[in-house]
Amino acid sequence: MDMETLLLLRQEVSLLLIALVLLLFEIFANDRNRAGVVSLAIVLFGLHTALGFMDMKEGELFGGMFRTNALIHMFKNILNLGVLIVLLQSAEWVKKELIPQNRGTEFFILMLSSLLGLQFLISSGDFLMFYLGLELSTLPLAALAAFEIYRMRSSEAGIKLILSSALASGITLFGISLLYASSGSIYYAELQGAISENPLTVLAMILFFAGLGFKISLVPFHFWTADVYEGAPIGIASYLSVISKGAAIFILMILFFTVLKPLMHLWENLFYLLSVLTMFLGNLFALRQQNMKRFLAFSSIAQAGFILLGLITGTTLGVATVIYFILIYIFSNLAAFGVVQAISTETGKEQLQDYEGLYRTNPKLSLVMMLGLFSLAGIPPVAGFFGKFFLFTAAASKGYYFLVFLAVVNVTISLYYYLLVVRAMFLRKSEHPIPYFTNTVYMRIGLVITVIGILALGLYSPIYDYIYALSSTLN
Amino acid sequence: MERILFYILALIMIGFALASVMSRRMLRSVIYLLFVLCAVAGVYFMMDYNFLAAIQLTIYAGGIIVLIIFSVLLVHHIEMRMEIARPTRQLLTALACSLGLAAFLSVIYTYDFQVSGPGPGTEVSVIGAKLLDYGEGGFILPFEVISVLLLAAMVGAIVIAKGTKLSENKNEVK
Amino acid sequence: MPLRITENIHNWLFSVMPEGVASLVEMTLIAVVYLTIFAVAGLFLVLLERRVAAWFQLRIGPNRVGPQGLLQTMADAIKLLTKELTGTEKADKFLYNLAPYFVIISALMALAVIPFSAEFHAFDINIGIFFLIAISSIGVIGILLGGWSSNNKYALIGAMRSGVQTISYELSVGLSLLTMVVITGSLQLSEIIEVQKSGWLILQGHIPAAIAFMVFMISGTAETNRAPFDMVEAESELGAGFHTEYSGMKFAYFFLAEFINMFIISAIAATVFFGGWLSPFGITESIPELGVFWFLLKTMALVFLMMWFRWTFPRLRVDQLLTLEWKYLLPINLVNLVLMALLVWLNLTLRL
Repeated sequence: MDMETLLLLRQEVSLLLIALVLLLFEIFANDRNRAGVVSLAIVLFGLHTALGFMDMKEGELFGGMFRTNALIHMFKNILNLGVLIVLLQSAEWVKKELIPQNRGTEFFILMLSSLLGLQFLISSGDFLMFYLGLELSTLPLAALAAFEIYRMRSSEAGIKLILSSALASGITLFGISLLYASSGSIYYAELQGAISENPLTVLAMILFFAGLGFKISLVPFHFWTADVYEGAPIGIASYLSVISKGAAIFILMILFFTVLKPLMHLWENLFYLLSVLTMFLGNLFALRQQNMKRFLAFSSIAQAGFILLGLITGTTLGVATVIYFILIYIFSNLAAFGVVQAISTETGKEQLQDYEGLYRTNPKLSLVMMLGLFSLAGIPPVAGFFGKFFLFTAAASKGYYFLVFLAVVNVTISLYYYLLVVRAMFLRKSEHPIPYFTNTVYMRIGLVITVIGILALGLYSPIYDYIYALSSTLN
Repeated sequence: MERILFYILALIMIGFALASVMSRRMLRSVIYLLFVLCAVAGVYFMMDYNFLAAIQLTIYAGGIIVLIIFSVLLVHHIEMRMEIARPTRQLLTALACSLGLAAFLSVIYTYDFQVSGPGPGTEVSVIGAKLLDYGEGGFILPFEVISVLLLAAMVGAIVIAKGTKLSENKNEVK
Repeated sequence: MPLRITENIHNWLFSVMPEGVASLVEMTLIAVVYLTIFAVAGLFLVLLERRVAAWFQLRIGPNRVGPQGLLQTMADAIKLLTKELTGTEKADKFLYNLAPYFVIISALMALAVIPFSAEFHAFDINIGIFFLIAISSIGVIGILLGGWSSNNKYALIGAMRSGVQTISYELSVGLSLLTMVVITGSLQLSEIIEVQKSGWLILQGHIPAAIAFMVFMISGTAETNRAPFDMVEAESELGAGFHTEYSGMKFAYFFLAEFINMFIISAIAATVFFGGWLSPFGITESIPELGVFWFLLKTMALVFLMMWFRWTFPRLRVDQLLTLEWKYLLPINLVNLVLMALLVWLNLTLRL
């Protein structure tokens, strides 16, 4: 092993370094300069994100436990970008709430270690690293969800997250152990040829999928989602809804499209069923939510259902559309969450009725929110439309016309509730609207990046072509 | 002899696992769990995985169980009993559990397992060398990732412990 | 001829009964032998403690029952056996009765791995030292349970203190032994002694070994909950600590286990640092039967050291205790481990 191969670990090493630098900063910081951690963390992480865009070779390390290629590398960059936005949007909240309690640095350390876990997860080459990545990404999140420990809701969120994820990872581990029992290996590369269809592997696959289903919050495993999103700090809720969900979908794709490919005719049906259930349940529950965080939680459940639509195909087209959709979803959802975050940090208001008349007092925020919601709903000029459109095309290309029809029905339902929010902001008047306020620089940058993302992804087609070109490396 | 020992250990494990789940007193559940873990260590000893068995005893029996006992001591009153579920629910749960168990057992027993050859060895030195090996079949990466995981868990635990008092009113800011 | 005796018994057993039964009987015999050692050693140590305490305090100590009071503790034990077993209301009876056995069984299991001499060694497991550490971590469960199920505040506080103390100091015990394992390259106790034929480890590893020895003795004393680390049963604050509510034989179990644990800690130290049953400079190498003598001599010297601690130092406060472990012993230990690794790597160890 020489330096050059070690460079394949570059992303992870630099993340770990940032976390350790922050840890050292915390040790030597005093009360006066403690707030500096926000800028330090964001600048360092920004550098990390920017450096991530450098080319990376394809390769394996540690006997195949860690592997990376252009697609995985690109996905890591997507995650980095998403986390950067989350950090920018949370900066004000950290300054206001956490720094006085002297808990600001830990927020960043935990967030970065969770991201590190996700990066190990998606470039894992065997189930051991897969499991460790999963745990490393979840454990810090439980602490983060309970970060506002003085609020009952937040500690409840932490408990719910840790319990449900412990159960999920237990189930996943059992599935992995059965897979190991059937084939005698935990390396993806060796498993790929060794898996045949028999009751044991089918059972293993179902158990394994159940564990990941928790992370993606698919329907039978979605119960934690709304409560955790509502109770957790908003930055964490947005991280859960886009970053960890995106990474889980990505690794699900890698595993099911390669290792578990022989069982495809089985998981096709499974995905079909769960996709329909998830879409309907997410959308129908989202209709009656009054709290913005709960509302976005159910909307994110529904979006997971759409994503399964693309996964069902098992083709390069499916891979490309799913990644493209996740990218769009990250930007759109973070735009919506960002606005909720900005308003909540400033005024503490999170209910739908508080948003009435927002356009009159804070037009820019309302516009960003509208753009995000339109993109989530899939209204033509913005990126979300293309994302959904491609997903439907991918599903239709394999002949799932009825499923696509159901999905379109769901898009219509979702349109209704997304527009409810838009109506509240633009058309309703309120006696006590949220007063005008200016956002901090970090928040502005965070929101601007999402807006640019939503517009650019919709209007600039080479991005999709690039993703499509890389996607062929998966199969 | 080995066979008899194995069945004794297996009976201990199953019996105490059931007792642990069904006991209505927290601390007794924990102690039953301790017996289960010790029996698992016994199985490892039987298979000559001495190191693993000692790890099982130190980490689970000596570490985790002590921590659980601590948390029970800090939380619970001595008289406290868990509530009993309604009979219909008990019945349903029992039914679901036995169905699941039947499914798992039938799948596992019908599968034709391949017996694998001897592993790389169970001596501590072999295990240590494997943990530091960065080539094929080495475990240095997981080893290091676990240390990051533990660091993160520690930071998380400290953050939670640092928290101020819980209050309901700060929650709903209208 | 210990070897010959055991071999003869072994052969005789297998000649008169079928194999399965014979091995069962053999195991039972070994267990009985160890139980006897356990009881005798425990009783002797109690007596020794009382005599040593008296000596430090310029008294005479027990001297009436038997020559030099040798039978005093025997009499005490018989008295304890006849005492009524009391308990508290609302206590969890099952756990209350179970607790002493945890303590005593873990002590007994640890005794099994200790090499009294080359042949007198019941269970020479290949992870020897690690097994000892593993077993000793279970005893604390008994203390925690006993304290909790007594339904008594003093007992509960004592148990909590004990838990905190044992968990903390276990690290130092483990790490200081690990430091020595770096030299020996094996965890097996018989091999550790084999290595010391070219010099006791405390000489082989000179500076770091001496540091490790000191850390081990301090943390070993703490792990057995003895003074100056006896917050667990600090009489002035907690009555009798975790075993306040125990009486009769159940109390005697806790009491015996404490002394046996002290013996075990000293025995480990004697084995790992001072060559176990090896004679100094191999003066009696031709008479292997003296192994037990040398082993017991070294162990008793260390036991005396621990008693010396007890009657010399005042008790620490809980926070001082934790500070000592986490802020001093643990970092020292970690540095020491690296130092020892360097020493072995650069071949700076002393060999005769």
